[in-house]
Amino acid sequence: MNCETARNMMETNDPALAEHVLTCPSCMIGTHARYYEAPPGLERKIRQSLRREQSAPSTWRWLTLAASLLLGISVAWNVAQFRSRADREQLLADNVLSAHVRSLAGTHLLDVPSSDQHTVKPWFNGKLDFSPGVKDLEGFPLLGGRLEYFGGRPAAALIYGRHNHTINLFTWPSATPTAASTQTRNGYHLHHWSGNGMTFWAVSDLNETELGQFVSLYGRN
Amino acid sequence: MDSDREQARFEQTVIPHLNAAYNLARWLTRNGDDAEDLVQESYLRAFRSFDTFQGQDGRAWLLAVVRNTCLSWLRKKGHQPAAEFDEQMHSTADQSPNAESVLLNQAALGSLHDCLEALPLEFREAIVLRELEELSYKEISEIARVPVGTVMSRIARGRKRLQQCLAGALR
Repeated sequence: MNCETARNMMETNDPALAEHVLTCPSCMIGTHARYYEAPPGLERKIRQSLRREQSAPSTWRWLTLAASLLLGISVAWNVAQFRSRADREQLLADNVLSAHVRSLAGTHLLDVPSSDQHTVKPWFNGKLDFSPGVKDLEGFPLLGGRLEYFGGRPAAALIYGRHNHTINLFTWPSATPTAASTQTRNGYHLHHWSGNGMTFWAVSDLNETELGQFVSLYGRN
Repeated sequence: MDSDREQARFEQTVIPHLNAAYNLARWLTRNGDDAEDLVQESYLRAFRSFDTFQGQDGRAWLLAVVRNTCLSWLRKKGHQPAAEFDEQMHSTADQSPNAESVLLNQAALGSLHDCLEALPLEFREAIVLRELEELSYKEISEIARVPVGTVMSRIARGRKRLQQCLAGALR
């Protein structure tokens, strides 16, 4: 007896069907065991969850995009800050150099002509809200002091000599320490450094080596 | 977009086999609600690992995922996949045979259903895949991750147990 016969027996309710199920259960499964069909709505649910799954990685894509955007902004901002700081420093260097040249061009090099640091230092009292470090430096005689004005605030100019060269040392308080730097402009050498809450600019037509000696001597004392 | 094409390809490959997936899950779990949840989960799993699909038969590939999803769920639930079939119980079923052939035939088919459900999991899955999905021994061996010889012996032993079970039920 084959499955076709069994199917006919089922349809005609042939009493022998039960016998057949007994002898050939396997073929009866293929024809009469229940084939469960997916409930309606399951396909829709699956498509929905697939769509959600699809959009999940895109959330990551957005996060990544947002993160790189933030990083880009942060980098750009830092670069801009760095550049504007560099720009400010260049502007200041321009002013420092102008002040140096101006002091030599006219007659107004010294407000207080004195080689005595105990004369020069007190002279700034009442003229500045800080007291500049006036030092005797061996090989670089103190010539005196002068009032200057940089970046919207008063500054002290200390004038030192070296042979026939003049060194202007400008100093004023500064909250943000900056890295030491040197540069040469129009044949003048500029040294810039900071320390103890003060910022310093030394400028002279003196050769770079001797100006360097002056700076390190001043810093050591 | 690339991922949209991929989803379309996935849906074309496996959505047509939704009935096969549900039927297998339903026979393995013996419960409609669980089967529905597990089929849904299987589709998600299949979607995530669609890159492993090499363009073979989509139905067999999907059924392998469904089978694994159901088995790990059953294992988590504490089912023993290899639970021994209680032949004693089924052979001494206290069902009085009905003289009416209609009733007897219905009883026979009802028993067929009950006996198939009562089969141990590995026999049940082999018989469902073979008799209801008409998959080849080779396809079943790939889905169940056992050698073809094991598939053949499971089907043979499954049929024998069905026969014993039915004999007990219809006696």
